[in-house]
Amino acid sequence: MGNKKTKSRQSSNGSRPRSGAGARKNHVGADAFVRPVARSATGSPNQHLRTYSIPDYRLEHPDFTVRQVTKKDKYGHDHVRFEVEGEFDAPVPPIRDSKYLDKRQAIEIYRWMLLNRKMETALENLYKQGKVVGGVYFGLGQEACSCASAYALDRDDWFAPMIRNQGSMLVRGFGARDIMMQYMAKAGSPTRGRNATAHFGDIEKRNMVSPISMLGDLIPVMAGVALGARLQGRNLAVMTYIGDGGQSTGVTYEGINFASVQNLGLVLIVESNHWAYSTPSQMQYRCQDLAERAIGYGIPGVIVDGTDACQVYDAAHEAVERAHRSEGPTLIEAKMMRMKGHAIHDAAGYVPKAMFEFWRKRDPIARFENYVVREKKWLTPKENQDLIAGVEAEIEAEREIAVNSPMPTPESAEGGVFCENGCHKIKPKYGMPKVKKGTAYKATEAAVHLK
Amino acid sequence: MFLTYLEAIRQGIWEEMERDPTVFCLGEDIGVYGGAFKVTDGFIDRFGPERVIDTPIAESAIVGAAFGASLTGMRPVAEFQFMDFIGCAFNQISNMVAKTHYLWGAPVPLVLRGPSGGYVHGGPFHSQNPEMWFVHNPGLKVICPATPYDAKGLIKAAIRDNNPCVFFEHKYLYRRIKEEVPAEDYVVPIGKARVAREGRHLSIITYAAMVHTALEAAETLSQEGIDLEIVDLRTVAPLDREAIAETVKKTNKVIILHEHSRTGGLAGEIAAVVNEEVFDSLDGPIVRIAGLDSAIPFSPPQEQYYLPKVEDVVREARRLKAY
Repeated sequence: MGNKKTKSRQSSNGSRPRSGAGARKNHVGADAFVRPVARSATGSPNQHLRTYSIPDYRLEHPDFTVRQVTKKDKYGHDHVRFEVEGEFDAPVPPIRDSKYLDKRQAIEIYRWMLLNRKMETALENLYKQGKVVGGVYFGLGQEACSCASAYALDRDDWFAPMIRNQGSMLVRGFGARDIMMQYMAKAGSPTRGRNATAHFGDIEKRNMVSPISMLGDLIPVMAGVALGARLQGRNLAVMTYIGDGGQSTGVTYEGINFASVQNLGLVLIVESNHWAYSTPSQMQYRCQDLAERAIGYGIPGVIVDGTDACQVYDAAHEAVERAHRSEGPTLIEAKMMRMKGHAIHDAAGYVPKAMFEFWRKRDPIARFENYVVREKKWLTPKENQDLIAGVEAEIEAEREIAVNSPMPTPESAEGGVFCENGCHKIKPKYGMPKVKKGTAYKATEAAVHLK
Repeated sequence: MFLTYLEAIRQGIWEEMERDPTVFCLGEDIGVYGGAFKVTDGFIDRFGPERVIDTPIAESAIVGAAFGASLTGMRPVAEFQFMDFIGCAFNQISNMVAKTHYLWGAPVPLVLRGPSGGYVHGGPFHSQNPEMWFVHNPGLKVICPATPYDAKGLIKAAIRDNNPCVFFEHKYLYRRIKEEVPAEDYVVPIGKARVAREGRHLSIITYAAMVHTALEAAETLSQEGIDLEIVDLRTVAPLDREAIAETVKKTNKVIILHEHSRTGGLAGEIAAVVNEEVFDSLDGPIVRIAGLDSAIPFSPPQEQYYLPKVEDVVREARRLKAY
């Protein structure tokens, strides 16, 4: 493994560059969001040439190419490995000033990110102590994307996390204990032991749809939430996430397309974290950036640095505002790096080390801390220390409660398959839909397909 | 009112949309065109394009969107143009819709409906009876009506139910079966079978189009002094175990008849129920009549050979009676 060009044999998929910095000249900002997919033919010397724009908020454009190479060991046996090429010594960019976040909000997002990370550290320790059932999934390096995106939602908006968006769940009002109890399969977990990890939801207070392990299915589901709310007279933003791996599924296409056709307020955060389990993004798709997919759906697409909370927030905020104005879906591609393996068992030995080193320097929390404390001076070093200590105390208290809570009884596996005996009263959450008056029922006599 | 099976379903959905503003329809070509079989003909004019939504050809999106809307307290009725295509949305139904209430306690009041079944030369992708895909998914109610009365009462019950219901309409019955249906509002309870014909000698347990095949066989057999009891399950999940036990206790001999292929079919499950509940009442082997273990072929002679027929029921009933 290395980051130098080799003379090794390359697989057919691995020879194309991505995200070339020189290729980006696009306009950045809110005005670009108004009609960012507007195509332009007029004014071009070639009237048959259409151009589309993808706003890119990033302050750098890392350009890596991962490819499979085959090398022989000393016995002459072939071994296929991933190698990466790119500019690894580029200076770390600053945090981009937000157009919307004030001091209080920036500090809140900073605190959520800390809580996110320290909760996951606690989970890692619980796993090592043998207290976690199954694996642990981390959002290390992706905390800015989870926390700042969820932070952009209004209270009535809905969201559906993916497994690494544990920070989003905290922002939306779940306690660290809820997530810890899920991992420890406790009776008091939100699913009462019935499901693991981030797989839970709440349609009453927090408006969160539970993820399932199959990727992409949440996208049409969230479109449906927006559809249901719209029938009740509300234009809600419905946010969900998909990875560079998960977006390969067919239902991803179906879901975004449905939301687009119906002009529903879907805010889709495409988390491009370079690796889908062990498969590099170059083996998932061929376009340069996944934000380009938005063009095909006829919706705005935008690229942000997923390690910069301000960029994530600004893009998410604008997308949420569009949703509230009934302007339809937005696709936000957040570029970042999954800084651990797929789950705790996976040491990610297949990832070229240079990639980890590059992104470690772009740690979302360390950079945001620097931004808030040293650059903006919104927190004094003392206030920062107190804030960190407060987060640690909160995690410790939550951990204590979660660890000491009981396991479910075996018999609690039974029941609850159906909603029956009045266990739920179903009513439209945002009010009874308006109905139109019309003609009385009349029998149909039309011709049909198969008789 | 004298209604066809199709008109009964159409009227049932229409009345529920009149009664409850949270009910809405979505599916392919259900709006301006009124649906491939015209079940929603005229709906878009009456209820508007907001509540009668023509969707892209995207079954997972249709089910996903219906599910999402149900979480906000709506009661979506999603149409599959043919139930064969429900396979495209299988993951959404099996892993999302069916498991939600058990796993995280959100109710999912939605109906997935559409035409199923053979005898119309639809070929292998327009004639299937895929109800068993869903019977084996705890959390779903699977409904297969045989008559206009039941079709209307059950579609209304399904729409009012707080759980996901998969509603299999039989396309052979759509315009062939007519009967008197009350003008006033009624529902048929989900999970309750009915005795379609009382008899003494042996029981046929069946549902959907096969009820009519069994009734025809019963006419022939009555001339030979063989008196069939016919139990119409109406709902295949949850199964009405009591009704199954009851009829076997009465006649002591049972034939299970269904259209879908034999292996892993509903008959196996019903045989197990008989075994568990009323084994001592049996005076003969449990007999299965079912489709072949293959895809449903297209050509009429082949399709006819594949599907259960009146002669099959007559032959097996004679054999079992003599046992």
